[in-house]
Amino acid sequence: MYFLQAIGATAERLAYAIGLYPLLMGKVLGRLHKPPWFFPLIIRQCEMVGVQSLPVVLLTAVFTGMVLALQSWVAFHRFGAESMIATVVSLSMLRELGPVLVGLMVAGRVGASFAAELGTMRVSEQIDALWTLSTDPVRYLVIPRMLAAMLMMPLLVMLADAIGMLGGYVISVNALDQNPHTYIKHSYDYLELIDLYSGLFKAMVFGAIIGLVSCAEGYYCDGGAAGVGKATTRAVVVSAMTILIADYILTAWIFK
Amino acid sequence: MNPASKISLRGVHKSFKGHKVLDDISLDILPGESHIIIGLSGAGKSVLLKCILGLIRPDSGSILINGEDWFSLPIEDKLKRMACVGVLFQGSALFDSMPVWENVAFVLRRQGMSKPEARDRAAEVLDWVGLPGICDIMPAELSGGMKKRVGMARAICHRPEIIFYDEPLTGLDPVMSDVITTLMKRLHERMNVTSLTIAHSMKLVREFSDRVSMLYEGRIYQQMSRDEIDTTQDPVFRQFIEGRADGPIHLGNGREAA
Repeated sequence: MYFLQAIGATAERLAYAIGLYPLLMGKVLGRLHKPPWFFPLIIRQCEMVGVQSLPVVLLTAVFTGMVLALQSWVAFHRFGAESMIATVVSLSMLRELGPVLVGLMVAGRVGASFAAELGTMRVSEQIDALWTLSTDPVRYLVIPRMLAAMLMMPLLVMLADAIGMLGGYVISVNALDQNPHTYIKHSYDYLELIDLYSGLFKAMVFGAIIGLVSCAEGYYCDGGAAGVGKATTRAVVVSAMTILIADYILTAWIFK
Repeated sequence: MNPASKISLRGVHKSFKGHKVLDDISLDILPGESHIIIGLSGAGKSVLLKCILGLIRPDSGSILINGEDWFSLPIEDKLKRMACVGVLFQGSALFDSMPVWENVAFVLRRQGMSKPEARDRAAEVLDWVGLPGICDIMPAELSGGMKKRVGMARAICHRPEIIFYDEPLTGLDPVMSDVITTLMKRLHERMNVTSLTIAHSMKLVREFSDRVSMLYEGRIYQQMSRDEIDTTQDPVFRQFIEGRADGPIHLGNGREAA
Protein backbone atom coordinates (compact mmCIF):
# COMPACT_ATOMS: atom_id res chain seq x y z
CA MET A 1 0.00 0.00 0.00
CA TYR A 2 2.80 2.37 0.98
CA PHE A 3 4.63 1.46 -2.23
CA LEU A 4 1.56 2.34 -4.34
CA GLN A 5 1.14 5.62 -2.47
CA ALA A 6 4.80 6.47 -3.13
CA ILE A 7 4.37 5.73 -6.85
CA GLY A 8 1.20 7.84 -6.93
CA ALA A 9 2.92 10.74 -5.16
CA THR A 10 5.92 10.56 -7.53
CA ALA A 11 3.62 10.48 -10.59
CA GLU A 12 1.71 13.47 -9.23
CA ARG A 13 4.94 15.43 -8.67
CA LEU A 14 6.16 14.52 -12.16
CA ALA A 15 2.88 15.52 -13.80
CA TYR A 16 2.94 18.79 -11.86
CA ALA A 17 6.55 19.51 -12.91
CA ILE A 18 5.93 18.66 -16.57
CA GLY A 19 2.71 20.69 -16.54
CA LEU A 20 4.65 23.83 -15.60
CA TYR A 21 6.32 24.10 -19.00
CA PRO A 22 3.15 24.26 -21.14
CA LEU A 23 1.59 26.50 -18.49
CA LEU A 24 4.38 29.08 -18.78
CA MET A 25 4.53 28.66 -22.58
CA GLY A 26 0.81 29.47 -22.74
CA LYS A 27 1.37 32.62 -20.67
CA VAL A 28 4.24 33.70 -22.93
CA LEU A 29 2.33 33.07 -26.17
CA GLY A 30 -0.71 34.89 -24.81
CA ARG A 31 1.37 38.03 -24.22
CA LEU A 32 3.80 38.13 -27.15
CA HIS A 33 1.51 39.92 -29.58
CA LYS A 34 0.84 42.94 -27.35
CA PRO A 35 3.18 45.59 -25.87
CA PRO A 36 5.01 46.35 -23.63
CA TRP A 37 8.01 44.30 -24.84
CA PHE A 38 10.78 45.74 -22.63
CA PHE A 39 13.41 46.03 -25.40
CA PRO A 40 16.23 47.24 -23.09
CA LEU A 41 15.77 44.07 -21.01
CA ILE A 42 15.83 41.90 -24.15
CA ILE A 43 19.11 43.54 -25.21
CA ARG A 44 20.58 43.07 -21.71
CA GLN A 45 19.64 39.39 -21.77
CA CYS A 46 21.05 39.00 -25.31
CA GLU A 47 24.35 40.34 -23.98
CA MET A 48 24.20 37.88 -21.08
CA VAL A 49 23.26 34.86 -23.22
CA GLY A 50 25.30 35.70 -26.30
CA VAL A 51 28.36 37.79 -25.49
CA GLN A 52 29.07 36.31 -22.07
CA SER A 53 28.75 32.73 -23.35
CA LEU A 54 31.29 33.32 -26.14
CA PRO A 55 34.44 32.16 -24.28
CA VAL A 56 32.99 28.84 -23.13
CA VAL A 57 31.25 28.17 -26.46
CA LEU A 58 34.26 28.99 -28.62
CA LEU A 59 36.63 26.98 -26.45
CA THR A 60 34.31 23.98 -26.67
CA ALA A 61 33.99 24.38 -30.45
CA VAL A 62 37.70 24.71 -31.21
CA PHE A 63 38.63 21.60 -29.21
CA THR A 64 35.72 19.65 -30.67
CA GLY A 65 36.90 20.49 -34.21
CA MET A 66 40.48 19.48 -33.31
CA VAL A 67 39.43 16.15 -31.75
CA LEU A 68 37.10 15.44 -34.64
CA ALA A 69 39.97 15.92 -37.13
CA LEU A 70 42.25 13.57 -35.16
CA GLN A 71 39.59 10.86 -34.77
CA SER A 72 38.54 11.09 -38.41
CA TRP A 73 42.18 10.76 -39.50
CA VAL A 74 42.53 7.49 -37.55
CA ALA A 75 39.54 6.02 -39.37
CA PHE A 76 40.19 7.41 -42.86
CA HIS A 77 43.92 6.62 -42.74
CA ARG A 78 43.05 2.90 -42.63
CA PHE A 79 41.63 3.01 -46.14
CA GLY A 80 43.57 5.96 -47.55
CA ALA A 81 40.77 8.55 -47.54
CA GLU A 82 42.45 11.21 -45.38
CA SER A 83 41.30 13.98 -47.73
CA MET A 84 37.72 13.44 -46.50
CA ILE A 85 38.61 14.66 -42.98
CA ALA A 86 37.64 18.23 -43.93
CA THR A 87 34.19 17.15 -45.14
CA VAL A 88 33.51 15.11 -42.01
CA VAL A 89 34.59 17.98 -39.74
CA SER A 90 32.50 20.61 -41.51
CA LEU A 91 29.40 18.42 -41.93
CA SER A 92 29.52 17.19 -38.33
CA MET A 93 29.99 20.68 -36.94
CA LEU A 94 27.21 22.27 -38.99
CA ARG A 95 24.60 19.54 -38.77
CA GLU A 96 25.14 18.10 -35.33
CA LEU A 97 28.00 19.01 -33.04
CA GLY A 98 27.70 22.79 -33.35
CA PRO A 99 24.06 23.07 -32.26
CA VAL A 100 24.12 20.21 -29.73
CA LEU A 101 27.36 21.15 -27.97
CA VAL A 102 26.50 24.85 -27.89
CA GLY A 103 23.03 23.90 -26.63
CA LEU A 104 24.49 21.82 -23.81
CA MET A 105 27.04 24.49 -22.86
CA VAL A 106 24.40 27.25 -22.87
CA ALA A 107 22.01 25.01 -20.90
CA GLY A 108 24.72 24.66 -18.24
CA ARG A 109 25.74 28.29 -18.12
CA VAL A 110 22.64 30.29 -18.99
CA GLY A 111 19.94 27.79 -17.94
CA ALA A 112 21.41 27.56 -14.45
CA SER A 113 21.65 31.34 -14.26
CA PHE A 114 18.01 31.89 -15.38
CA ALA A 115 16.65 29.33 -12.93
CA ALA A 116 18.76 30.56 -10.00
CA GLU A 117 17.96 34.22 -10.66
CA LEU A 118 14.20 33.76 -11.06
CA GLY A 119 14.11 31.20 -8.23
CA THR A 120 15.80 33.64 -5.85
CA MET A 121 13.42 36.38 -6.95
CA ARG A 122 10.49 34.03 -6.29
CA VAL A 123 11.52 32.96 -2.78
CA SER A 124 12.50 36.51 -1.75
CA GLU A 125 9.07 37.77 -2.96
CA GLN A 126 10.61 39.98 -5.67
CA ILE A 127 8.30 38.42 -8.28
CA ASP A 128 5.30 39.17 -6.05
CA ALA A 129 6.67 42.70 -5.63
CA LEU A 130 6.78 43.17 -9.41
CA TRP A 131 3.10 42.28 -9.59
CA THR A 132 2.22 44.81 -6.90
CA LEU A 133 4.26 47.44 -8.78
CA SER A 134 1.92 47.18 -11.79
CA THR A 135 4.34 45.01 -13.75
CA ASP A 136 3.59 41.64 -15.27
CA PRO A 137 6.47 39.32 -14.21
CA VAL A 138 6.04 37.11 -17.28
CA ARG A 139 6.57 40.07 -19.60
CA TYR A 140 9.32 41.60 -17.48
CA LEU A 141 11.32 38.50 -16.57
CA VAL A 142 10.40 35.51 -18.72
CA ILE A 143 9.82 36.86 -22.24
CA PRO A 144 13.14 38.79 -22.50
CA ARG A 145 15.07 35.69 -21.37
CA MET A 146 13.26 33.34 -23.74
CA LEU A 147 13.63 35.68 -26.72
CA ALA A 148 17.32 36.25 -25.94
CA ALA A 149 17.99 32.51 -25.78
CA MET A 150 16.16 31.92 -29.09
CA LEU A 151 17.91 34.81 -30.87
CA MET A 152 21.42 34.26 -29.54
CA MET A 153 21.66 30.48 -29.95
CA PRO A 154 21.83 30.54 -33.80
CA LEU A 155 24.49 33.29 -33.66
CA LEU A 156 26.56 31.34 -31.16
CA VAL A 157 26.22 28.20 -33.28
CA MET A 158 27.37 30.05 -36.42
CA LEU A 159 30.49 31.20 -34.59
CA ALA A 160 31.02 27.75 -33.06
CA ASP A 161 30.73 26.12 -36.50
CA ALA A 162 33.35 28.47 -37.92
CA ILE A 163 35.74 28.07 -34.98
CA GLY A 164 35.27 24.27 -34.92
CA MET A 165 36.12 24.08 -38.62
CA LEU A 166 39.13 26.28 -37.98
CA GLY A 167 40.28 23.92 -35.19
CA GLY A 168 39.98 20.97 -37.58
CA TYR A 169 41.96 22.90 -40.21
CA VAL A 170 44.78 23.79 -37.80
CA ILE A 171 45.24 20.18 -36.67
CA SER A 172 44.86 18.67 -40.14
CA VAL A 173 47.33 21.05 -41.78
CA ASN A 174 49.90 21.25 -38.98
CA ALA A 175 49.77 17.83 -37.34
CA LEU A 176 48.34 15.54 -40.03
CA ASP A 177 50.18 16.94 -43.07
CA GLN A 178 47.06 17.73 -45.05
CA ASN A 179 47.28 20.15 -47.97
CA PRO A 180 45.69 23.47 -46.83
CA HIS A 181 44.09 24.25 -50.22
CA THR A 182 42.60 20.78 -50.59
CA TYR A 183 41.38 20.90 -46.99
CA ILE A 184 39.56 24.20 -47.53
CA LYS A 185 38.13 22.99 -50.85
CA HIS A 186 36.84 19.77 -49.29
CA SER A 187 35.37 21.68 -46.38
CA TYR A 188 32.92 23.43 -48.72
CA ASP A 189 32.58 21.21 -51.77
CA TYR A 190 30.26 18.67 -50.23
CA LEU A 191 28.23 21.08 -48.12
CA GLU A 192 24.65 22.07 -48.93
CA LEU A 193 22.73 25.05 -47.60
CA ILE A 194 20.34 22.72 -45.75
CA ASP A 195 23.30 21.58 -43.61
CA LEU A 196 23.76 25.13 -42.35
CA TYR A 197 20.06 26.01 -42.07
CA SER A 198 19.11 22.81 -40.27
CA GLY A 199 21.82 23.45 -37.66
CA LEU A 200 20.64 27.01 -37.13
CA PHE A 201 17.02 25.91 -36.91
CA LYS A 202 17.97 23.32 -34.32
CA ALA A 203 19.86 26.02 -32.41
CA MET A 204 16.77 28.20 -32.25
CA VAL A 205 14.65 25.30 -30.98
CA PHE A 206 17.30 24.45 -28.38
CA GLY A 207 17.31 28.12 -27.30
CA ALA A 208 13.54 27.97 -26.82
CA ILE A 209 13.92 24.77 -24.77
CA ILE A 210 16.61 26.28 -22.53
CA GLY A 211 14.62 29.49 -22.06
CA LEU A 212 11.33 27.76 -21.31
CA VAL A 213 12.63 25.01 -19.02
CA SER A 214 14.94 27.20 -16.95
CA CYS A 215 12.51 30.10 -16.66
CA ALA A 216 9.70 27.71 -15.64
CA GLU A 217 11.89 26.03 -13.03
CA GLY A 218 12.86 29.39 -11.52
CA TYR A 219 9.47 31.07 -11.90
CA TYR A 220 7.53 28.30 -10.15
CA CYS A 221 10.25 27.55 -7.61
CA ASP A 222 9.41 27.17 -3.93
CA GLY A 223 11.04 25.89 -0.75
CA GLY A 224 13.62 28.59 0.04
CA ALA A 225 17.32 28.22 -0.69
CA ALA A 226 17.08 24.43 -1.05
CA GLY A 227 14.24 24.89 -3.53
CA VAL A 228 16.36 27.27 -5.62
CA GLY A 229 19.20 24.70 -5.66
CA LYS A 230 16.86 21.93 -6.80
CA ALA A 231 15.26 24.16 -9.44
CA THR A 232 18.70 25.09 -10.82
CA THR A 233 19.77 21.44 -11.03
CA ARG A 234 16.48 20.45 -12.69
CA ALA A 235 16.77 23.32 -15.17
CA VAL A 236 20.17 22.10 -16.39
CA VAL A 237 19.33 18.37 -16.40
CA VAL A 238 15.90 18.73 -18.04
CA SER A 239 17.21 21.23 -20.63
CA ALA A 240 20.13 18.95 -21.55
CA MET A 241 17.97 15.82 -21.80
CA THR A 242 15.29 17.64 -23.80
CA ILE A 243 17.90 19.04 -26.18
CA LEU A 244 19.20 15.52 -26.92
CA ILE A 245 15.69 14.12 -27.44
CA ALA A 246 14.66 17.10 -29.59
CA ASP A 247 17.88 16.72 -31.59
CA TYR A 248 16.93 13.20 -32.61
CA ILE A 249 13.36 14.22 -33.51
CA LEU A 250 14.52 17.25 -35.54
CA THR A 251 17.25 15.27 -37.31
CA ALA A 252 14.81 12.52 -38.25
CA TRP A 253 12.32 15.12 -39.48
CA ILE A 254 14.74 17.34 -41.42
CA PHE A 255 16.77 14.59 -43.14
CA LYS A 256 14.08 12.04 -43.79
CA MET B 1 -21.44 43.80 1.96
CA ASN B 2 -20.75 47.41 2.96
CA PRO B 3 -20.81 49.53 -0.22
CA ALA B 4 -18.55 52.14 1.40
CA SER B 5 -15.76 49.59 2.00
CA LYS B 6 -12.37 50.14 0.43
CA ILE B 7 -11.67 46.41 0.70
CA SER B 8 -14.42 43.87 1.12
CA LEU B 9 -14.08 40.10 1.51
CA ARG B 10 -16.99 37.68 1.57
CA GLY B 11 -16.82 33.95 2.21
CA VAL B 12 -13.19 33.56 1.15
CA HIS B 13 -11.91 29.97 1.30
CA LYS B 14 -8.45 28.70 0.47
CA SER B 15 -7.00 25.22 0.94
CA PHE B 16 -3.61 23.75 0.08
CA LYS B 17 -3.48 19.99 -0.56
CA GLY B 18 -6.67 19.46 1.43
CA HIS B 19 -5.49 21.60 4.35
CA LYS B 20 -7.93 24.44 4.96
CA VAL B 21 -5.95 27.67 5.47
CA LEU B 22 -8.72 30.25 5.08
CA ASP B 23 -12.24 29.24 6.01
CA ASP B 24 -15.11 31.58 5.19
CA ILE B 25 -13.30 34.87 5.74
CA SER B 26 -15.47 37.98 5.59
CA LEU B 27 -14.01 41.38 6.30
CA ASP B 28 -14.70 45.04 5.50
CA ILE B 29 -12.05 47.72 5.61
CA LEU B 30 -13.33 51.27 5.42
CA PRO B 31 -11.66 54.21 3.64
CA GLY B 32 -8.94 55.81 5.77
CA GLU B 33 -9.00 52.96 8.28
CA SER B 34 -5.90 51.31 9.67
CA HIS B 35 -6.80 47.65 10.08
CA ILE B 36 -4.42 45.13 11.60
CA ILE B 37 -4.74 41.37 11.31
CA ILE B 38 -3.05 39.41 14.06
CA GLY B 39 -2.71 35.69 14.58
CA LEU B 40 -0.30 32.86 15.29
CA SER B 41 2.52 32.07 12.87
CA GLY B 42 1.05 29.85 10.15
CA ALA B 43 -2.50 31.05 10.81
CA GLY B 44 -2.87 32.09 7.16
CA LYS B 45 -2.35 35.85 7.51
CA SER B 46 0.12 36.11 4.64
CA VAL B 47 -2.07 33.83 2.46
CA LEU B 48 -4.97 36.17 3.14
CA LEU B 49 -2.86 39.16 2.15
CA LYS B 50 -1.73 37.42 -1.05
CA CYS B 51 -5.35 36.59 -1.90
CA ILE B 52 -6.32 40.26 -1.49
CA LEU B 53 -3.36 41.33 -3.66
CA GLY B 54 -4.34 38.86 -6.39
CA LEU B 55 -1.17 36.80 -5.97
CA ILE B 56 -3.13 33.69 -4.92
CA ARG B 57 -6.59 32.90 -6.25
CA PRO B 58 -9.00 31.86 -3.48
CA ASP B 59 -10.97 28.62 -3.97
CA SER B 60 -14.24 30.49 -3.46
CA GLY B 61 -15.61 33.79 -2.17
CA SER B 62 -15.28 37.33 -3.40
CA ILE B 63 -12.68 40.03 -2.84
CA LEU B 64 -13.58 43.56 -3.85
CA ILE B 65 -11.18 46.50 -3.86
CA ASN B 66 -12.79 49.87 -4.50
CA GLY B 67 -15.95 47.88 -5.29
CA GLU B 68 -14.33 45.85 -8.09
CA ASP B 69 -13.49 42.17 -8.26
CA TRP B 70 -9.93 42.28 -9.62
CA PHE B 71 -9.86 38.55 -10.31
CA SER B 72 -12.52 39.00 -12.99
CA LEU B 73 -10.53 41.69 -14.84
CA PRO B 74 -8.14 41.10 -17.77
CA ILE B 75 -4.52 41.08 -16.64
CA GLU B 76 -3.72 44.53 -18.13
CA ASP B 77 -6.62 46.16 -16.27
CA LYS B 78 -5.66 44.36 -13.08
CA LEU B 79 -2.11 45.73 -13.35
CA LYS B 80 -3.42 49.25 -13.94
CA ARG B 81 -5.57 49.00 -10.80
CA MET B 82 -2.46 47.91 -8.88
CA ALA B 83 -1.15 51.48 -9.16
CA CYS B 84 -3.55 52.44 -6.37
CA VAL B 85 -1.87 50.11 -3.86
CA GLY B 86 1.54 50.02 -2.21
CA VAL B 87 3.00 47.00 -0.44
CA LEU B 88 5.75 46.75 2.15
CA PHE B 89 6.92 43.13 2.08
CA GLN B 90 8.18 41.27 5.13
CA GLY B 91 11.66 40.84 3.63
CA SER B 92 11.41 44.21 1.78
CA ALA B 93 11.70 42.36 -1.60
CA LEU B 94 13.95 45.03 -3.11
CA PHE B 95 15.29 44.28 -6.61
CA ASP B 96 18.96 43.34 -6.17
CA SER B 97 19.90 44.30 -9.71
CA MET B 98 19.01 47.99 -9.47
CA PRO B 99 20.13 50.85 -7.21
CA VAL B 100 17.91 52.17 -4.46
CA TRP B 101 16.44 55.06 -6.44
CA GLU B 102 15.36 52.78 -9.30
CA ASN B 103 13.70 50.48 -6.78
CA VAL B 104 11.85 53.40 -5.22
CA ALA B 105 10.81 54.99 -8.52
CA PHE B 106 9.98 51.71 -10.25
CA VAL B 107 6.28 52.42 -10.75
CA LEU B 108 6.92 56.04 -11.77
CA ARG B 109 9.36 54.91 -14.48
CA ARG B 110 6.85 52.30 -15.65
CA GLN B 111 4.24 55.07 -15.83
CA GLY B 112 6.54 56.98 -18.18
CA MET B 113 8.12 59.57 -15.86
CA SER B 114 11.51 60.79 -17.12
CA LYS B 115 14.66 59.49 -15.43
CA PRO B 116 15.74 62.81 -13.78
CA GLU B 117 12.22 63.55 -12.56
CA ALA B 118 11.75 60.02 -11.16
CA ARG B 119 15.13 60.19 -9.46
CA ASP B 120 14.25 63.53 -7.83
CA ARG B 121 10.94 62.14 -6.60
CA ALA B 122 12.70 59.01 -5.24
CA ALA B 123 15.28 61.20 -3.45
CA GLU B 124 12.47 63.25 -1.92
CA VAL B 125 10.65 60.15 -0.60
CA LEU B 126 13.90 58.60 0.64
CA ASP B 127 14.57 61.82 2.50
CA TRP B 128 11.09 61.57 4.05
CA VAL B 129 11.80 58.06 5.38
CA GLY B 130 15.08 59.32 6.85
CA LEU B 131 17.50 58.00 4.25
CA PRO B 132 18.97 60.97 2.37
CA GLY B 133 21.87 60.46 -0.03
CA ILE B 134 21.52 56.74 -0.67
CA CYS B 135 20.04 56.92 -4.18
CA ASP B 136 22.90 55.15 -5.93
CA ILE B 137 23.58 52.46 -3.32
CA MET B 138 22.71 48.86 -4.20
CA PRO B 139 20.22 47.05 -1.88
CA ALA B 140 22.86 44.47 -0.86
CA GLU B 141 24.80 47.26 0.89
CA LEU B 142 21.89 48.23 3.17
CA SER B 143 21.08 47.03 6.70
CA GLY B 144 17.74 45.33 7.48
CA GLY B 145 16.22 48.52 8.88
CA MET B 146 17.37 50.58 5.89
CA LYS B 147 15.93 47.99 3.49
CA LYS B 148 12.61 48.20 5.31
CA ARG B 149 12.56 51.99 4.95
CA VAL B 150 13.53 51.78 1.25
CA GLY B 151 10.70 49.23 0.86
CA MET B 152 8.37 51.72 2.49
CA ALA B 153 9.61 54.50 0.20
CA ARG B 154 8.91 52.23 -2.79
CA ALA B 155 5.43 51.45 -1.47
CA ILE B 156 4.44 55.14 -1.16
CA CYS B 157 6.41 56.81 -3.97
CA HIS B 158 3.49 56.63 -6.42
CA ARG B 159 1.03 57.95 -3.79
CA PRO B 160 -1.23 54.90 -3.39
CA GLU B 161 -4.70 54.95 -1.82
CA ILE B 162 -4.21 51.66 0.03
CA ILE B 163 -1.05 50.38 1.71
CA PHE B 164 -0.46 46.79 2.75
CA TYR B 165 2.18 46.04 5.36
CA ASP B 166 3.28 42.41 5.71
CA GLU B 167 4.82 42.05 9.17
CA PRO B 168 6.60 45.42 8.98
CA LEU B 169 8.51 45.07 12.27
CA THR B 170 9.73 41.49 11.90
CA GLY B 171 13.49 41.17 12.33
CA LEU B 172 14.03 44.76 13.51
CA ASP B 173 15.56 45.98 16.75
CA PRO B 174 13.27 47.96 19.14
CA VAL B 175 14.63 51.32 18.04
CA MET B 176 14.17 50.59 14.34
CA SER B 177 10.72 49.15 15.10
CA ASP B 178 9.80 52.48 16.64
CA VAL B 179 11.18 54.36 13.62
CA ILE B 180 9.04 52.26 11.25
CA THR B 181 5.94 52.58 13.47
CA THR B 182 6.38 56.36 13.57
CA LEU B 183 6.72 56.48 9.78
CA MET B 184 3.56 54.39 9.38
CA LYS B 185 1.65 56.72 11.70
CA ARG B 186 2.96 59.87 9.95
CA LEU B 187 2.04 58.40 6.59
CA HIS B 188 -1.45 57.52 7.79
CA GLU B 189 -2.02 61.02 9.14
CA ARG B 190 -0.43 62.85 6.21
CA MET B 191 -1.87 60.93 3.27
CA ASN B 192 -5.03 59.57 4.90
CA VAL B 193 -4.44 56.21 3.23
CA THR B 194 -6.31 53.03 4.00
CA SER B 195 -3.98 50.42 5.39
CA LEU B 196 -4.08 46.71 6.09
CA THR B 197 -1.29 45.37 8.24
CA ILE B 198 -0.31 41.81 9.06
CA ALA B 199 1.45 41.88 12.43
CA HIS B 200 2.48 40.03 15.55
CA SER B 201 3.54 43.07 17.52
CA MET B 202 0.95 44.18 20.08
CA LYS B 203 2.84 47.47 20.43
CA LEU B 204 2.12 48.18 16.78
CA VAL B 205 -1.51 47.14 17.25
CA ARG B 206 -1.93 49.56 20.18
CA GLU B 207 -0.18 52.45 18.42
CA PHE B 208 -1.32 52.08 14.83
CA SER B 209 -4.63 50.24 14.49
CA ASP B 210 -8.17 51.60 14.29
CA ARG B 211 -9.54 48.07 14.27
CA VAL B 212 -7.94 44.71 14.77
CA SER B 213 -9.00 41.23 13.60
CA MET B 214 -7.64 38.00 14.96
CA LEU B 215 -7.20 35.15 12.49
CA TYR B 216 -7.41 31.81 14.27
CA GLU B 217 -7.87 28.34 12.78
CA GLY B 218 -8.57 29.82 9.35
CA ARG B 219 -11.36 32.13 10.50
CA ILE B 220 -11.72 35.70 11.69
CA TYR B 221 -12.02 34.73 15.33
CA GLN B 222 -12.72 38.17 16.68
CA GLN B 223 -12.76 41.77 15.50
CA MET B 224 -12.61 44.79 17.76
CA SER B 225 -11.57 48.43 17.96
CA ARG B 226 -8.20 49.41 19.43
CA ASP B 227 -9.87 50.60 22.67
CA GLU B 228 -11.42 47.18 23.27
CA ILE B 229 -8.16 45.25 23.07
CA ASP B 230 -7.20 45.62 26.70
CA THR B 231 -10.70 45.15 28.09
CA THR B 232 -11.72 42.00 26.21
CA GLN B 233 -12.08 38.91 28.38
CA ASP B 234 -11.98 36.40 25.53
CA PRO B 235 -9.45 33.77 26.70
CA VAL B 236 -7.94 33.10 23.25
CA PHE B 237 -7.47 36.79 22.52
CA ARG B 238 -6.09 37.45 25.99
CA GLN B 239 -3.59 34.59 25.69
CA PHE B 240 -2.39 36.00 22.36
CA ILE B 241 -2.00 39.62 23.44
CA GLU B 242 -0.35 38.61 26.72
CA GLY B 243 1.99 36.25 24.86
CA ARG B 244 1.45 33.27 27.19
CA ALA B 245 2.24 29.67 26.24
CA ASP B 246 -0.47 28.28 28.52
CA GLY B 247 -4.06 28.71 27.52
CA PRO B 248 -6.75 27.55 25.14
CA ILE B 249 -4.91 28.35 21.89
CA HIS B 250 -4.55 25.30 19.71
CA LEU B 251 -1.01 25.26 18.38
CA GLY B 252 -1.77 23.24 15.28
CA ASN B 253 0.30 20.19 16.20
CA GLY B 254 -2.58 18.22 17.65
CA ARG B 255 -2.03 19.45 21.22
CA GLU B 256 -3.39 22.30 23.25
CA ALA B 257 -0.90 24.77 24.63
CA ALA B 258 0.65 23.48 27.82
